[in-house]
Amino acid sequence: MTAVKSDDAPRLAPSQPAGPGTHEKRTARRGKLAAGGLLTPALLGLLLGFVLPVLWMIRMAFNEGAGSGVVIETFTLQTILDPLTDSYYWGIIWNTFSMGFTSALLCIIVSYPLALFLTRTVSRWKGILIAIALAPLLSSDVVRTYGWMVILSPDGILNSALLSIGIISTPLQLANSMPGVIIGLVQIFMPYAILAMISGFGRLNTQLEEAASSLGANRMTTFLRITFPLSLPGIFTAFLLIFVLSISTFVTPRLLGGGRVQVLATAIYDQTTELLNWPFAAALAVILLMLFGTVVAFYQALTKKLEGE
Amino acid sequence: MNTPRTKLSLAGLTKSYGSNLPPAVDNLDMEVEDGHLVALLGPSGCGKTTTLRMVAGLLDPTSGRIMVEGQNITNTPVHKRQMGMVFQSYALFPHMNVQENVAFGLQMRKRPKQEQQERVMKALEMVQLDHLAKRSTKALSGGQQQRIALARALVVEPTVLLLDEPLSNLDAKLRETMRTEIRQIQQRTRATTLFVTHDQDEALDMADRIALMNGGLIEQFGSPHEIYERPRTRFVANFIGRANLFEAAIGSESSTGPDGLARYEISVGDHGSFHAVGEPGMAGSVRNVLVRPHRLRVGSAGTGAEGLRGRIESNSYTGDSVSYHVRVGSELFTAERLTDGDTLLSVGDHATISWRAEDALVLPEELQ
Amino acid sequence: MELGIGRRAFIASTAVAAAGVGLSACSSGGGGVEGSATSGPINIIGYAGIWEEQYRAAVIEPFLAEYPDITVNYASKRSSAEMLSAVQSEGGNRTTDITIMDIAVSNGGNSQGIFSTLSEEDVPNIANVNPDLVNADGFGPVVMLDAVSLLYASAEFSTPPESWEVLWDEQYRGKVNVVAPPSGIGINLTAITADMIGEDFTTSIDQTVTKLQELAPNVQSWAPNPDEYQSVVTGQTVLGVGQNARAQYYVDDSDGALGATVPQEGTVYQINTINLTADAPNPEAAKTFINYALSPEAQTAFAEAMYYAPSIDNAELPEEVAARLVEYGDDGIIPLDQEWLAATRDEWTERWNREIVNN
Repeated sequence: MTAVKSDDAPRLAPSQPAGPGTHEKRTARRGKLAAGGLLTPALLGLLLGFVLPVLWMIRMAFNEGAGSGVVIETFTLQTILDPLTDSYYWGIIWNTFSMGFTSALLCIIVSYPLALFLTRTVSRWKGILIAIALAPLLSSDVVRTYGWMVILSPDGILNSALLSIGIISTPLQLANSMPGVIIGLVQIFMPYAILAMISGFGRLNTQLEEAASSLGANRMTTFLRITFPLSLPGIFTAFLLIFVLSISTFVTPRLLGGGRVQVLATAIYDQTTELLNWPFAAALAVILLMLFGTVVAFYQALTKKLEGE
Repeated sequence: MNTPRTKLSLAGLTKSYGSNLPPAVDNLDMEVEDGHLVALLGPSGCGKTTTLRMVAGLLDPTSGRIMVEGQNITNTPVHKRQMGMVFQSYALFPHMNVQENVAFGLQMRKRPKQEQQERVMKALEMVQLDHLAKRSTKALSGGQQQRIALARALVVEPTVLLLDEPLSNLDAKLRETMRTEIRQIQQRTRATTLFVTHDQDEALDMADRIALMNGGLIEQFGSPHEIYERPRTRFVANFIGRANLFEAAIGSESSTGPDGLARYEISVGDHGSFHAVGEPGMAGSVRNVLVRPHRLRVGSAGTGAEGLRGRIESNSYTGDSVSYHVRVGSELFTAERLTDGDTLLSVGDHATISWRAEDALVLPEELQ
Repeated sequence: MELGIGRRAFIASTAVAAAGVGLSACSSGGGGVEGSATSGPINIIGYAGIWEEQYRAAVIEPFLAEYPDITVNYASKRSSAEMLSAVQSEGGNRTTDITIMDIAVSNGGNSQGIFSTLSEEDVPNIANVNPDLVNADGFGPVVMLDAVSLLYASAEFSTPPESWEVLWDEQYRGKVNVVAPPSGIGINLTAITADMIGEDFTTSIDQTVTKLQELAPNVQSWAPNPDEYQSVVTGQTVLGVGQNARAQYYVDDSDGALGATVPQEGTVYQINTINLTADAPNPEAAKTFINYALSPEAQTAFAEAMYYAPSIDNAELPEEVAARLVEYGDDGIIPLDQEWLAATRDEWTERWNREIVNN
């Protein structure tokens, strides 16, 4: 333990290579090649499965649709400008945005305590608890949406319960309306929000909270000054994820909206499969893409600002 | 120096995690003098961190009391204890800069802005980091983070400063520098400090008192010198420094010296006999005897009347020093000496080991 | 009946075996197209669900029994638009031979050159199709007719409702399901409503839209799930608007829990055509199938199974079947020019989306 230290370490130094040798350079190049090789299938898949279809879709948006599936090959801005100069489609864009925003916000609010708990618990059941939180993913969102239809319908469980305890006198219009769609989306996306937040809570650390309380912060102050600010990256990531999932989802607004909830996804569906106006559907999809892009840009600016601190 | 005054006292402090488990901290009593730095030293799992966390208020004791300046704070919540704590990971708030980190405790105490500013700068000057006030904590080196954490804990003028393994995340060289620095700052501020460490060197170097813990109990509480020179148990003797420990039947007790220690004559059958010191009244019992390796002399056979005769089992020569393993009966002794140019003994040689009487200590711990 | 199917299947399999030994394409089936080489696979696109189930049993299976050298691959789509879209997307590489779809959509396909014309020489049974139901330009003829009917929960009505106005009755607030356009049901309800309030929908539907806006509070869903028939059967709604043929099927299926009636103001036809794809891979066999689909045997069988009215004049329906379906030439049919509608459909859909459903 108190052994006399050998002092011969510096003597070894001259025998070490002075810098990265050619062998190392070759290894580095081989590493890059290997990485490139491993990435190729994914990049190819991305190109064929995403980039090309999106480019094709954008090109389609500059065509003109003549109904019944007739596509007039041309190059016009009119197809995109039509919805953008029409207050009805601005209404749809607004519906899409507000549906995404509201469901993401509510989803974060209900998932946050759970995510925080799951991150911090030292219970030996932690793994099982996380699995339970994610278990809804095992059933498809179509199934879960049908479940919500049963719960929220005028003579469904929720309305019957509220009626029988006398809180309301007439059934609430929950199914077949925007509130119903949002309730459904919030529940359906909760596992994603929880996952995103758990992985985004990396900077959270109980020692930081203990440090704050040892410096005189009570629980509330500790939460507001330490826990919450440090969980913001996770919150933002989850918010972005749920927002994007919400504005692009078709199943829930379609099934739970009862036709009353008109968002870009349902409008695109109608234009694609019922009215067969592909250029117009593509134009709406481009608008959805722009909405998505705006939110992502906003998110990136926000994260940059957070990390700059 | 003021007259010694108890700052922190622990009475019967116990932490138990379950009735079928041995308590993590077992009925612990300790008094810490004002301005002292006390090291809670021990192997992992000995209860030192648990003790510190109970003092901080981060852990509720199962029973017992924690008193600061005579006031029972056992049930005071952590944020009202007015202590300062430095964590193993430093726990600097990553979303605040250096100045904001240090000011946090003062903000919680709602001190005026002006005063906050001044005290933060003073604290940063103390740790020589006033030029980094606006820096992000992420841009700091480990040693700098350590010093910011210390400044943050000290700026609130805590009743007790708690340090939880503060040096364990630093590299060896920095650890030595920080050791000195922390000790200097502690002595300058006269902050009563509780310091958890598993490193005996740190404890010996920095502490006014060491509480050596084992299995939730304090094995020995005393100054570094006492702990090293007068260990009371085999565990302490083994934990601090290196030790030759062997059981022996304690022979007759002769004079008691001015230090209050008695002199014992101990004979080891055919192997010879020697003298040792210890608390009076142990004659006739079987006890552990401690001799530190570097206080053990090795000579060729028959060089002296006193000593134990044995045989060299191995040797190791490094130029400056030489160490031998000497077999005496069933016991193996380690001796370590600086070389003096004399001929070395070879493996298999007969040898006599001896020591000054005051270099062999009969441990008061009774053997079961 | 089970025995019959079993025997036919047996005959079919022996015939296939015979073909395997080398008798080849020479069909032995009676009533086939004389002298044509009809064999090989044909690909048919039609509706999904019970329609597919019943059409397979009533038409395709007997056809296969009669023409053992032909095999049928049936692909189902949820709507006529999806069928057209599927054929369109095949481009120059056609795989579909036949589609059975709504006349409004097939008209679109005809004008785009997606479907080819059929002569009486190709398909002799076209001679029996009611002259009004044969395409003037020689494209695929009407193969079956249906009409829009009012769906009601039998438990709530001692006698069937006599007027479409019942949909607006305030006591059924939130108890009505209507499938909004682009679905054909919603389009047809527009014409029925216009006719009921005396507006000429060929010039304007402003008043009709106002009238339909008043319907909105009664409507539980404009896009009912699983469909407008089941929601009445399960008691989730009391009223609905649906297709008579499917409705009659569910009347039987639900033991009368669902009722379906054509109110006094009348209804509009819902018409399906059978179409041969231009450049179909197997046109001869396809024509053989189309001819069979227009035979009295097939038309009667499907009318009995699904309550679609025949498009041919020489089909004899049992009395009790005839009473439950809307045949061509029945009284109280509101005229609706399908070709005109094809051009107006998008506009009506827009008005529904903007002014009716949105509330």
